[in-house]
Amino acid sequence: MNVRSQIAMVFHLDKCIGCHTCSIACKNIWTDREGAEYMWWNNVETKPGTGFPTRWEDQDTYRGGWEIKDGKLRLRSANKGYVLGKIFHNPAQPSIDEYYEPWTYRYQDLFNAPEGSDQPIARPVSKITGKEIAIEAGPNWDDDLGGSPVYAENDPNLDSLTEEQREQLFAVERLVMFYFPRICNHCLNPSCVAACPSGAIYKRGEDGIVLIDQTRCRGWRACVSACPYKKVFFNWKTGKSEKCLLCFPRLETGQAPACFHSCVGRIRYLGVLLYDADRIEEVALSSDENLIEAHRSMILDPHDPQVIRQAQSNGVHDSVIEAAQKSPVYQFVKVWKMALPPHIEFRTLPMLFYVPPMSPVMSMRKGDVLTQSDQGLFHEIDNARVPMQYLAKLFGAGHDAKVRYALKKQMAIRSYRRAVTVGDIEPHIANQMLREADCTPAEAEAIYKLTSLCTFEERFVIPPMHREEALEMMEDPMDHKRETGFGLVGKPQRGS
Amino acid sequence: MAATRRLGTGWTGLGVWIALLGLGIIGPGAAWGQDAATDFRNNCMSCHTIGGGRLVGPDLKGVTSRQDRAWLLKFITDPKAMIDSGDPEAQKLLKESGGVIMPTLPLGKARIEALIDLLESESKLERSKFAGQVVSNRPLGPEDIAAGERIFTGRQALSAGGAACYSCHTVQGVGGLGGGALGPDLTKVFERLGGRKGLTAWLGSPATATMQAAFGTHPLEQGEIESLVAYFQSQTQLAETPQPRQLFLGLGLAGACFALWGLNSLWKRRLGGVRRAMVQKAAIKG
Repeated sequence: MNVRSQIAMVFHLDKCIGCHTCSIACKNIWTDREGAEYMWWNNVETKPGTGFPTRWEDQDTYRGGWEIKDGKLRLRSANKGYVLGKIFHNPAQPSIDEYYEPWTYRYQDLFNAPEGSDQPIARPVSKITGKEIAIEAGPNWDDDLGGSPVYAENDPNLDSLTEEQREQLFAVERLVMFYFPRICNHCLNPSCVAACPSGAIYKRGEDGIVLIDQTRCRGWRACVSACPYKKVFFNWKTGKSEKCLLCFPRLETGQAPACFHSCVGRIRYLGVLLYDADRIEEVALSSDENLIEAHRSMILDPHDPQVIRQAQSNGVHDSVIEAAQKSPVYQFVKVWKMALPPHIEFRTLPMLFYVPPMSPVMSMRKGDVLTQSDQGLFHEIDNARVPMQYLAKLFGAGHDAKVRYALKKQMAIRSYRRAVTVGDIEPHIANQMLREADCTPAEAEAIYKLTSLCTFEERFVIPPMHREEALEMMEDPMDHKRETGFGLVGKPQRGS
Repeated sequence: MAATRRLGTGWTGLGVWIALLGLGIIGPGAAWGQDAATDFRNNCMSCHTIGGGRLVGPDLKGVTSRQDRAWLLKFITDPKAMIDSGDPEAQKLLKESGGVIMPTLPLGKARIEALIDLLESESKLERSKFAGQVVSNRPLGPEDIAAGERIFTGRQALSAGGAACYSCHTVQGVGGLGGGALGPDLTKVFERLGGRKGLTAWLGSPATATMQAAFGTHPLEQGEIESLVAYFQSQTQLAETPQPRQLFLGLGLAGACFALWGLNSLWKRRLGGVRRAMVQKAAIKG
């Protein structure tokens, strides 16, 4: 057992209101620079939809993530012959058109236009070329377009649905959408790290944050292709790749990352998970059906004395173990089993988990009146507007058991709380539902509290980062003290 | 101190050079140590003799009495201009030499004057030392032709290390793609340069600036010249038809265009993108 710590995340999709505040908070801090305008390290997608970049989930096109070949894990994007053949033009790499060409407006036109019979307008100009452009797409072009024949219908996750289900999904009475906020998953088995020919990408040992060393990056863009979530971006100005850094400068000072901090719906949870690093390869090689369970089994119980002992011997600080014990992520992922990794079939083992969303109330037309369905306010999860297969494709590697479990639990807790606060559901029915959903009243209360009444400190359990210890992992400060003082970032420049 | 001394030496050295140049001691002509006889040997003997009969160009014995000195000076300075100007005498010479235009010699006025002086004095002698080399009458057989082809194509290295003819010249039907295109086609060179005698003399000391630069320090041997002459003689029957090479070039270009078009249509989708194609498809569907 090789116990390591990782800052992991849970996004509670049932709470997301799609306000994009997270995206803006991130943009204002990190990507409001030339060459980075098109990047959205945090973005919020409307599902069903094609996302950003367009159809990023379609790995036949983008060749991201891992595949199993001859019983071994292989990068889809980086077999040697393929890379050599495509060295001058990699068709699997998204072009700027799959993201969008960033633009601004020539506001001066509003002031400088000669007097005429028409109102002056500010023309859009590209932020890349500086020339006027016809805007074709943006990062959220399909925002809220539930059922649009262009974007929603081309969602790769709809492939598993039957024709009938598709028609139902896009019928006016059933039209549905939910939001899918995305940041870098800071995976346990990151394909971007594996693909980098310069060795510039690394996963920080102490907290598992995946970072790109800007001095070592040579702009090969292998990571852009390799990341199945398309969360590494190429900066055309600096010629280097960039990605979400989980606001590590904020984490190191005890603050939640900007997108977490600013979240209006309070959907985001952040905490430490302890995991067994020796099992990464074995877990990533599991069959699609067992992937989620295997991934969960890697995450270790921070209360287990043996785990604590191993963690301590691996240099994990006691305060980090303590934070792991309080981690809301551990509760959602491991104890309650409600949070699921996105597209785990890409086999990068994401450390960002999603609580799948409940669908809106089902309504139907009776004569001229639109009423709730016959089953009352809460419907059976199988009759939800979002088909189970769709969610299973997104969060269950195509298998619905885990998604069904998570949704059933949510539904049971809703009924249970309804029985407690409103009383129009009989307590024994509510309790029966809890039992069927593998839940107890105590657990239901705990989930309800962490979902609805959570405080800042309960949502974000940030351990002290112990940078001083992280440094000691790589070099001995006593050596520096003895030999060259405390060391210099660059070599000393002397006059000639 | 040291730096100052070195600078002083430098200035003194420069002064000496300027003085020597001023005295004309280090003039270019003097530096090469050439006189009219050397000039004649290097530049004229490939095509002319004095009293040895016609090669490519006419025998120059008594030329100073046939033409006036001013005409000679003008002609030697720039033969092509003279021919182009339509001078009747020059036109006649061109016809006699079978269309071969005398190369413009890289000599100044003073050296051409000296050459004319040399022609005048040598013409008065009974037997000039520039009467031309004796060309052997040995009949040239198929083995000479084969040796000549080997030399031309470079399969047999030239003994003095000169470049193979093939690198700059071609003859009809040699090699797959023909020889080089830098120099002229040599298919008809045997006829053009006045047969065995003329061609032998020409190869012995080539007159054009390019050939001089290439073979001045790597002269051909007598045996090699004989083989080459035999080879060129055997080629004379062939027609000088450059069309097949143009056809080859044309076919090559057409083939390349076709291949590019084929590859382009094979990988048409490489620049297609995802979103644009998706939106277009939806627009067509309505």
